[in-house]
Amino acid sequence: MPNPVDCLTPALDLLGNNLNILPATGSAVEDLQHPDADEIEDVLINREVGEVTAFAETPQPSTSSLYRPTPPLSRREKHLFRFFIDGSLRTYFLATGIESTRSFPIEMAQIGAAVVQRDDDGHLSVLDSQHKILLLVPRGSRGVSDTLWIQLERLRTSDGFFEPVDVTTSDVISGQDRPDRPVDLRNKAGGKARHRMHKLEIDIIRATDGLRDKNHWLILDGAVKLDEFIKTPFLIGVAKSFRKDPQFYFGHRRRQRKDVTAILAGLPHAHRTVAFSAHNGQVAFWYVRLREQKELDYPLMGVVKIELPRPDRTPVEAELADLLSRALVAERNVTPYGLDRRWHCHLYPIFIAEQVIKNRFFSQQVLMGAIRWPKP
Amino acid sequence: MSPDIVTEELVEQELEEQATPTVIGRTSATERDPSTSDKFSFWLPDRVIVNPFDIVEVDQVGQPEQGPSKTYGLVTMLEHRTDAPNHLANFISSNFGEVDEEPNTPRQGTTVASVNVLSNDADIYMPVPSERLVCFAPPEGIEKALGIDQMKPADRIPAGLIKMSNGASTVAYIDRRYVLGPESAHVNISGISGLATKTSYAMFLIQAILQTAPHPEKTAVIILNVKQADLLQIDQRPEQDLPPEEMEKWEALGLEPKPFDHVVYLLPRGNDTPRTGRPNSFLDLDVYRMFAYDLESTADKLDMLLMPSVSDPSGTMEGIIGEIMAGILGGDAEFRDVQSWSQLLGFLRQIQGQRGRWRGLFMASSIGKFRRHLRRLVHTRQTGIFVDSRASGEQVLSEVITNIKGGHTYVVDIAKLSDDEQALVFGDLLRSIYAIKAEEVEDRTESSPVPDRIVFFVDELNKYAPGGARESPITQQVLDIAERGRSLGVILISAQQFMSAVHDRVTGNSATKILGRTGSSEVMQPDYRFLDQDLKMAMTRLAKGELLVNHAVYRQPVKVIFPWPAYRQPEF
Repeated sequence: MPNPVDCLTPALDLLGNNLNILPATGSAVEDLQHPDADEIEDVLINREVGEVTAFAETPQPSTSSLYRPTPPLSRREKHLFRFFIDGSLRTYFLATGIESTRSFPIEMAQIGAAVVQRDDDGHLSVLDSQHKILLLVPRGSRGVSDTLWIQLERLRTSDGFFEPVDVTTSDVISGQDRPDRPVDLRNKAGGKARHRMHKLEIDIIRATDGLRDKNHWLILDGAVKLDEFIKTPFLIGVAKSFRKDPQFYFGHRRRQRKDVTAILAGLPHAHRTVAFSAHNGQVAFWYVRLREQKELDYPLMGVVKIELPRPDRTPVEAELADLLSRALVAERNVTPYGLDRRWHCHLYPIFIAEQVIKNRFFSQQVLMGAIRWPKP
Repeated sequence: MSPDIVTEELVEQELEEQATPTVIGRTSATERDPSTSDKFSFWLPDRVIVNPFDIVEVDQVGQPEQGPSKTYGLVTMLEHRTDAPNHLANFISSNFGEVDEEPNTPRQGTTVASVNVLSNDADIYMPVPSERLVCFAPPEGIEKALGIDQMKPADRIPAGLIKMSNGASTVAYIDRRYVLGPESAHVNISGISGLATKTSYAMFLIQAILQTAPHPEKTAVIILNVKQADLLQIDQRPEQDLPPEEMEKWEALGLEPKPFDHVVYLLPRGNDTPRTGRPNSFLDLDVYRMFAYDLESTADKLDMLLMPSVSDPSGTMEGIIGEIMAGILGGDAEFRDVQSWSQLLGFLRQIQGQRGRWRGLFMASSIGKFRRHLRRLVHTRQTGIFVDSRASGEQVLSEVITNIKGGHTYVVDIAKLSDDEQALVFGDLLRSIYAIKAEEVEDRTESSPVPDRIVFFVDELNKYAPGGARESPITQQVLDIAERGRSLGVILISAQQFMSAVHDRVTGNSATKILGRTGSSEVMQPDYRFLDQDLKMAMTRLAKGELLVNHAVYRQPVKVIFPWPAYRQPEF
């Protein structure tokens, strides 16, 4: 069987012939993912949503009644959510490269995104999926020279499957590498891979264009904002993990201030909170409790955060938010219990989309076999 | 477009569809469950039905310049797997045990079939790679899978119909050379399949052997009727025609649904025979021969009459029997007046009363024990088969068998006999057959040659050749046939409920084993170790009329069905 990732070989040859390479043990070491990566991302993406001061729902909710019942609306009654998108990634440390006096990590990532479609009988099929190999190398004062980078760039494959990525560029997830506050390049490479994965998720939304309408909605795993807002209609973002520190101000009095934990602790089963405004009204978000608290260890378990893009900055109709929430509550069954620690707030089709991607990733053994540095 | 053209197109389309096998899944090799030279697995899409014992084919690599080869396999087990790691996950997925809760998305799962490799048409036994398309094997593929294509047409005996889940069927042929010799021989049938299934199958197989025999006149059949009048009308057509589906099976097998030709019924004399003139049988036949045992014709078989049921840990009884047999057969002066059972019992009473040991060996108490035992067998508890002197119509069974004729079927009725009498008749038949095939035939008066093949069918073989350490003279006789019958041309078709209850050298020498539904405790016995664990479990689920054929030529057992017998059977 030929090497399935032979696109890597010219890049490794190039780096190996121009740098001093200190290979990782066993040719590649998989980087462990941060256990709260999703929550950290939510903090990074919704950095400015620390204080919530406005509702985004019409009719305007009362501060005395923040919860609305959303009994499950099953697929048989109304099959609303038809498409589900998730992304996944694996990053590997390949080597430390030394050029001149600069040493830096050389990382590789497999990223992917998939959209699965649910038929009327509930069965899932893959509508589209994408898979990429990224070579994550810093450039410039903390990385490879411009000359080498340009040569590396030329090795990008025409189909985009293999792509060298400059780790030092800024983005909302990996942050900015400033001379006064340099970040760890391995962490930055990981963040960069996540960022590219989310871009892939957003790209793959296109596969559902023309298929979505008011009766055929798409669920995107996570936030509806990356570098920019997603303006796609008939789409919601569902976050399993979200920042736990926003403060909600419903007036000037002290008792009119609540934090998210207090709000969610009181959120009954199969209810939603009213919708709040974020990013100057460009996103309406609210929380839905999928599972009864008594079934779970912790009051914030079993709750998901929903984001609805409002490009025209209009509040969401309560009726629509109710409908979306009710359909979402029905998504609680089946669950990936035992397969994912976030089972209590995971949506099974999203989990399957993730599995679709992971099952297409090359195994560690394949990658180890493919990573061959040139002999000095 | 004319209707003719439309019809032609439809026919062509149908032929094309038949020629293109329907894909039923893809092979799947995983880290924990790899494909091997002997096994592979494949997953099934929804709505595809596959069952254990279906035969499938899959493309495999071929020799250079020969194109891909085909690997054939037998489905042994199907299992449905989901991504739920445990049952608790499913409980929780029903909203913590709410039975009415409908899942919005059905859990991901698939049915996976495990397959035992049967063969490869290019003798390539590389493991089947993953992701290969799997189809039901077409009829010619099944023949290749089982090695039937290697059998000469003249050697093929139809042993049943293989019915696949896709509705296709093909004939399971067994190789005559492995059933009737010289390669191997014998057929053993076991199972608790249902009323008369084993017997019906044996009769079907005998019919198939006879109908496909190149020279049927050189084959004779002996059948023991052990239950009711089951086999006492095998030369008669059924009272009602066979149903069309049964006729179709006969036709598909290439056989004619007909009763047996040239049948000779041998019925035992009974206690009422002197009064009624009728034999001791469940059915009044018009044409039959009656047999009985007088001392003269039984003297050389006393061991088979007496030994099976008498406890003889010290060998004393065996010694007495030996002395008496030698005395009578050798014309010993002491036995000059012993010419009937009554005289023998009288003689025993006499020597029991003598002082000292008889012939210096046997104590009076031993003689007494022997006499009581003999008396019980031939006097007090006999069914009428033992006579002091035979009437003119009462024949000696061994003489009839000595004059056995090819092309004839002999049905020996022992249904109404006691167990000891049945054992005697069975042993007598075996010894007689063995004698005419293995030794010089002195007493044969029949002018036609001794048949090349004698097929002997016996049900409830466990009675005569039970498993265990003790080997009675009858067991020894069965073992002789089992081990030497192949070369002699004596073929044993035997049946019993439990294979484990029969001597392992008998079943071990049967090159063809037919297995019906069997209980789970029985299939765990070592006698079934030739079967895959999954197939053992499948055996417990076989329906009435379904049998597994494990033939020397086949690499795995196959499931077959067979037609109803085309002879008259009693109503139950």
